[in-house]
Amino acid sequence: MLRIALKTTLAQKRRLIGTALSVVIGIAFLAGTFVFTDTIKRTFDTLFTEVYATTDAYVRSNQSIDAGFAGTQRGRIDDSVIDEVAAVDGVDEVAGEIFGFARILGKDGKPLGQENGAPTAAQSVSNEFLQPWDFTEGRAPTGPDEVALDRSSFKSGDFELGDQVTVLGQTGSRTYTLVGAARFAGADSPGGATFALFDLPTAQEFLNAGTKVDGVLAASTDGLDEDELVARVKAEIPSADSVEVLTGTAIAEESASAIKDGLSFFNTFLLVFAGIALFVSSFIIYNTFSIIVAQRTRENALLRAVGASRNQITATLLVEALIVGVIASLLGFLGGIVTAQALEALLAAVGIDIPAGGLVLSSRTLVVSLIVGVGVTVVASLAPAFRAAKVPPVAAMRDVAIERRDRTKSRLVAGLLVGSIGAALTVLGLTGQVAFLGLGIPLLFIGVFVLGPLLARPVGRFLGAPLPKVKGMTGTLARENAVRNPKRTARTAAALMVGVALVTGITVLAASVKDSIREIIGDQFTGDFVVNTNTFGFGGLSPQLASDLDELDEVGAAAGVQIGFALVDGDEEVLSVVDPGPANTVFDLQYVAGDGDIGEDEIALSESQAGSSDVTVGDTMSLRMLDGLERTVTVRGIYANDELAGPFTVSKELYRQSGTDEFDFAVFVQSAEGVSEDQARAAMEPITDEYANAELLSRSEYVDEQAAQVNQFVNLVYGLLALAVVIAVFGIANTLSLSVFERTRELGLLRAVGMTRAQVRSTVRWESVITALLGAIQGVVIGIFLGYAVIIALRDEGLNTFTLPVTSLVVVLALAVVAGVLAAVRPARRAARLDVLEAIATGE
Amino acid sequence: MDESTSMTTLPPPDATIVPAAGTVGATKVYGEGENEVRALDGVTVQFARGVFTAIMGPSGSGKSTLMHCQAGLDRLTDGQVFIGDVDLSTLNDKDLTRLRRDKVGFIFQAFNLVPTLTASENITLPMALAGRKPDQTWLDGVIDTVGLRNRLTHRPSELSGGQQQRVAVARALASRPEIVFADEPTGNLDSRSGAEVLGFMRRAVTDFGQTIVMVTHDPGAASYADHVVFLNDGRIVDEMAAPTPQKVLERLAHFGE
Repeated sequence: MLRIALKTTLAQKRRLIGTALSVVIGIAFLAGTFVFTDTIKRTFDTLFTEVYATTDAYVRSNQSIDAGFAGTQRGRIDDSVIDEVAAVDGVDEVAGEIFGFARILGKDGKPLGQENGAPTAAQSVSNEFLQPWDFTEGRAPTGPDEVALDRSSFKSGDFELGDQVTVLGQTGSRTYTLVGAARFAGADSPGGATFALFDLPTAQEFLNAGTKVDGVLAASTDGLDEDELVARVKAEIPSADSVEVLTGTAIAEESASAIKDGLSFFNTFLLVFAGIALFVSSFIIYNTFSIIVAQRTRENALLRAVGASRNQITATLLVEALIVGVIASLLGFLGGIVTAQALEALLAAVGIDIPAGGLVLSSRTLVVSLIVGVGVTVVASLAPAFRAAKVPPVAAMRDVAIERRDRTKSRLVAGLLVGSIGAALTVLGLTGQVAFLGLGIPLLFIGVFVLGPLLARPVGRFLGAPLPKVKGMTGTLARENAVRNPKRTARTAAALMVGVALVTGITVLAASVKDSIREIIGDQFTGDFVVNTNTFGFGGLSPQLASDLDELDEVGAAAGVQIGFALVDGDEEVLSVVDPGPANTVFDLQYVAGDGDIGEDEIALSESQAGSSDVTVGDTMSLRMLDGLERTVTVRGIYANDELAGPFTVSKELYRQSGTDEFDFAVFVQSAEGVSEDQARAAMEPITDEYANAELLSRSEYVDEQAAQVNQFVNLVYGLLALAVVIAVFGIANTLSLSVFERTRELGLLRAVGMTRAQVRSTVRWESVITALLGAIQGVVIGIFLGYAVIIALRDEGLNTFTLPVTSLVVVLALAVVAGVLAAVRPARRAARLDVLEAIATGE
Repeated sequence: MDESTSMTTLPPPDATIVPAAGTVGATKVYGEGENEVRALDGVTVQFARGVFTAIMGPSGSGKSTLMHCQAGLDRLTDGQVFIGDVDLSTLNDKDLTRLRRDKVGFIFQAFNLVPTLTASENITLPMALAGRKPDQTWLDGVIDTVGLRNRLTHRPSELSGGQQQRVAVARALASRPEIVFADEPTGNLDSRSGAEVLGFMRRAVTDFGQTIVMVTHDPGAASYADHVVFLNDGRIVDEMAAPTPQKVLERLAHFGE
């Protein structure tokens, strides 16, 4: 039987290639994701190992706050620790380092580097042995007037040694003389980050850090073990209680894993889309094998008649599926290598330069590709394989119509049941356990898939109704062909349904999010302008900007808002930090208790946070910021509108005491009474122009920009979903080809009695369009449900509008028509090229 | 047994009337050199209007090839083929298709009907492809002649073999073609249904002046024709007027010698 299986597979190469292709694409994406993230992880491992290669001990503050997405925020230590460490027996090299936000301005006054990508920083360079900077041009900076740049910025800014370079920071713009350019651990710039390098005192001054440093590096040149050195430092320095000391190896690992954690998220994100692609592939495999089984009825009946058992028939088909799966997985793995390279090129194109190194092809990736690829193929072919075995042997002798019990009722029940369970699990998953989503959403699709054949005929007829009028007999034939085999049509359409559903869901979600943003900003921001910068959590606008604007006559109030981090009652929280006066003018937070006049030792909470913290106005809470001091703050007010402000708000007066950098992420401005928009803008522009990373936006421009960020993300998702859609289109083409092959005689007859080639192509094309539309309509309906469910689940996060973007949905349906036309191109051509005589030959 | 390569049909009253169809030196060759097969070897024949002609011959004689080439379903290697006064070799695929659609009727042995269309839609299929409306009087006449009035809304799967062939006959006649080609039309039918179908074809010629060319191996079927042309080895070897099953059977037997 194995031989039969092998021979059959070879004989049907063409048919199976189309099927295999869908698996190849899905596995290529899967493998590519793994290869890509593995490569980047290794790159950063190598990078940080090299950076800290010469470091044996690293000393830093033990005050830290884990701020979730913004990473771990850490306090600074006094630079007297440098001398303390230097005095330790065994320490031969020591250096303090400080690091902070800065933007290097190019000769045109525009900042270098990416806004939302790799960090743009200022850093101190003080010890050649310990620090990873290798000066290829000039030398390291010394003294208060000198700066050096990373080599990438040096080149992109077109600088020469001796140039005056302007650097923007918390204290405003400063100009320094350029004395050198350096490579970082072998790369012109690590991952696209830009660095302005100063000697330690200059860096401290520029970063407004006083006498503080971020860390102290130490090393022994005498061969002393790093663990031993760390132990000595811990034991001997007086500041031991306020610092922690790590080995060089440990700090390298920690730095690398911070990035690797971020990558894991990205990895999972991409794998979800690979999973979607493979889910769609499974529909196609199921469909193709079902058709193959139907076409082989006679053959299988013959085998049964001469004595093959049911299991042997099933096994034959499963072996075919296995062969297809293995080949597809291997090809997919190779395709994954190409995908990984493409992803690398993509990153390079947006300026993120990963230091070169070969791709990491681990055996895990190959094994997973094989298991998943073969698994999907075989599982999807199980049902058709078992169905093949049910052929009665007598079907070999005569054309017996396989008795099909009318399963309409059981199909209806099964479909509704599975679909409802899926829907329920999805809703459940959205309100809590995300894991349920992984089960609920596929079940929902499968439920609709089961119902599919019941819908295919009526919906197909409806969709095809205009065709006979528009296209005459060609249209009639197209419509009838689309509905003559409802099961097959439904299965083919199902592949497209998945992709369309997800596209629709995201579209609905995005439209609702954008409308929500408009509404929230509309309600809660009463100002007229926003000075925006696109950094968030690291750096931003100098607070000087807000106070400069506030002093203008044309400005009523200018409120700079900062992001702060602290432990409130022991929990790590993100705070909004404001000047209460201007903030209360420019924002309408709807205080339900107390007011927003937050003093130096006070705090305001959102209503829901007050509820979960169980406090009211007048109660006290404990607050610990990055300086390590425990403070008591009193609850001043409780506000209802928390979408913009978040759960906690404190004053800048209070937060300043933590000693951390002060940067506003945006300044919200209200014009003075009677001042027109143009007047206000004219007055503000000269000031905002001074700050190179400031963007002055009108209220509506700001809203649009926020909406644009949503669009960016949505477009990324569209791009990733395009994969699933492409696979579906291949699937439709594949099924159509098989159907055309089946209808050879019929096509021959039509050509004989006078159907032109163009008419044949047209018939196939419109059949494809009806099928595609069928899938798309099902997808749109499911997508709206999914979008709606997500919105309901996120209501607490501030999403409170449900928008149905009708135009977008019409576009989606139009694209489905295009997809149908594209899928039909090859099958239609093949159908039209049929040799009439061969087709009608009954043998003579 | 004389082997002549040129035959004419029964002389029409006026020899200047253009025949419904014909070939001049039709040759169809497959393969080359030693493996060459001459399916048709210089066949010249004319099919006059209003005549029912049967083409007969043993297996491999070229009778189906002759019909396919005459009907525009296949192309000759050499020679000319006409329908009316149109030389088919001058037509490209689209025009040839249109010719078949508008001027020719087809009845095949099996798989005559499109399964997704009703009997009525199958009958008007060629005209529907052309976007033309049928001549309703003529159409009604044809439908009633074949006796399918109460079966018009049925799909082929709901019709018996004989009824399906009757629909095929109706379709072939519905557009009043110049000529109808039938390839073993009764091959898959029982004798009663077969006789029915042949009867309709006979009436179409006798009462309505249609021209029919039928390929068959069945002497009984041939007896419905006005004239029989015998082929062997790609050449016309004999003809017979006013055939009867007996005479035809005898003539066919001689091919074995």
